[in-house]
Amino acid sequence: MIEKEVIVTNRAGLHTRPASMIVRAASQFKSEFYIHKDGYEINGKSIIGVMTLAAEQGATLMLQFDGEDEHEAFDALAALFKDGFGEVI
Amino acid sequence: MSTSGSTILDSDLHGIAVSPGIAIGPAYMYARVSFNVERRILEPEVVEEEYERFERAIKRAERDLHKIIAVTREKLGEDSATIFEAQLLMLRDHSLYPEVQAYIKNHNVNAGYAVQTVMSKHRQMMEASDSEYLRERANDLLDIQERIIRHLRRARVLSAIDEKTIVIAESLTAADVILFSRRGVLGCATEFGGPTSHVSIMARALSLPALVSMKDVSNQVENGDIVILDGIKGELIVNPDAKTLKRYKTKQRRYLRLIQEDKSLVPLPAETLDGHHISLQANLELREEIEQLSEYGAEGVGLFRTEMLLLMEGRALVTEEEQFAQYKDVVEASSPGPTTFRILDLGGDKMLPMAHREHNPFLGWRGIRIMLDKLDLLVPQLRAILRASANGPTKILLPMVSALEEVREFKVVLAKTMAELSEEGIAYDPNVPVGIMVEVPSVAISADQFAAEVDFFSIGTNDLTQYVLAVDRGNDLVAHLYNEMHPAVLQLISMTTEAAKKAGISVSLCGELATNMRAVPVLLGLGVDTLSASPIYLPAIKRVIRAMKQSEGQALAQKALVASDAGEFRDMMDRWLEEHACGVSFFLEGAGLA
Repeated sequence: MIEKEVIVTNRAGLHTRPASMIVRAASQFKSEFYIHKDGYEINGKSIIGVMTLAAEQGATLMLQFDGEDEHEAFDALAALFKDGFGEVI
Repeated sequence: MSTSGSTILDSDLHGIAVSPGIAIGPAYMYARVSFNVERRILEPEVVEEEYERFERAIKRAERDLHKIIAVTREKLGEDSATIFEAQLLMLRDHSLYPEVQAYIKNHNVNAGYAVQTVMSKHRQMMEASDSEYLRERANDLLDIQERIIRHLRRARVLSAIDEKTIVIAESLTAADVILFSRRGVLGCATEFGGPTSHVSIMARALSLPALVSMKDVSNQVENGDIVILDGIKGELIVNPDAKTLKRYKTKQRRYLRLIQEDKSLVPLPAETLDGHHISLQANLELREEIEQLSEYGAEGVGLFRTEMLLLMEGRALVTEEEQFAQYKDVVEASSPGPTTFRILDLGGDKMLPMAHREHNPFLGWRGIRIMLDKLDLLVPQLRAILRASANGPTKILLPMVSALEEVREFKVVLAKTMAELSEEGIAYDPNVPVGIMVEVPSVAISADQFAAEVDFFSIGTNDLTQYVLAVDRGNDLVAHLYNEMHPAVLQLISMTTEAAKKAGISVSLCGELATNMRAVPVLLGLGVDTLSASPIYLPAIKRVIRAMKQSEGQALAQKALVASDAGEFRDMMDRWLEEHACGVSFFLEGAGLA
């Protein structure tokens, strides 16, 4: 199992579209995927779950992966966060 | 505009016509407010059946969404479809489907109540956010909740709406418009929205007459009222008398005939009786619209608005590649005619979802002012446009320029970008013309100076008018003062064309005024050489051009420049159109769409 922190960098935060990007990306991997924020945990393969995090710009999230492809999964998800989900404004 | 003959003044509602046509029928009030689902206790033995009912509703919602996604993708592009793809993802989400099943089972309740309870819980978590934007996104969860509940009570909702009705709503989504159109709805009118909003583009793409910005319409109309939706003038007439109804039925027939006749004009040149050629070009905002160029006989793209690239909730199509793919298709479709790309024009009333709120956005950070501050947006867009320019004639248009320094600063960025492309061995047109929007009065007033440094002018009459007259036409208290044919506005247009003529550069006009048939002869007379409008209006504009002489336009322009009574001048133009342009005046007065 790996756990690593990421920061929400895009200005709009994790709204509907970034949430669906996260879920689509995570669903490509076998590993279980959970996101923790402020003591709250959600299934990272649930778009509604990700939306209910209501994570704003600057929020710190703990990504937790467990499974055979956990490292690949983390890299893929971390890249999305780093890229700000393609949002520039 | 007058009341078009209805006897009860108060029953005529005004808005912006965004998709032309005339619809007559009963009003259907479409409310998006949630149906409050009642809680029903189920006998344990029917719980299985309730599961199945829920599953059937989910399946129907999936079918709907698949249709919506397909039409949206075709008419608005892949990017716009992503929000519905996200909704599709939600239907069988871990946090929805199994939770609803569990709730049905544990509480022995109906599926609708279970959906409402489960989704409310999720929504509340989003609504607790500090971010206003994320709180608003809770609406996406409400959308999916309502979609499922609608399908659970399918029978009632469908029978109410599938008649030949005119839908009245506070606001609609593009998805609503798609579903209405499939059910045979005749037209729609909403309180919110503008000519370039998603709903408007979709209504035009589906030929569904539509009005937007109809203030308070949902309180002025009752379910079942007979309404006339005039998608040409931008009016809604509620409960018309027999005489008005009859007149509009005639008007509807004549409109349809005129549309047919207009088709015959498509292959003919836009030339005045004395041989003066005017270039008629198209305002487009989506790659998906390029078929319309040949369908309506456009000679090029006079204005390609790139804001649509930013439609999906603040996401810009950041990558140069994505932009290039779109731009290239448009350039190729338009070639040998030119394609004029307007640099991303954010701010003002255009969606800038994440921008800080400004007290006075129309005088604030918008257009080129933003782009020169945000080179990370400007440079990829420039590179994409320049690369597309290798595939056909391409022009670059700068929005919201108010000072020469901005043009010069832009040119420095352009030169640097070109140098980089050359270094990388990428092809582009090194002589790509750079023009500016004439929408801030300072540009028209100093047009001589600007003409010496740019390759063309493009007049944006909507903003020019509001800046010159200091009138926000969205403000009911002053909207009557908004007049695009005000002599002061025309004077600025005249100064612009004069300066352009001296400098030997071209002047196009791409605002709503180009679709106002009363204005067309005057604009020709003022020396505008290109008119650019939504393609659907081009045949009618051509009809007027082909019925007049350039010299007549000049005489009318001289009168317009000193017209001290707007009503009188309008009447004069109506008579002129009636005599010259067989029927156009009757139909196409001041359509509110550029």
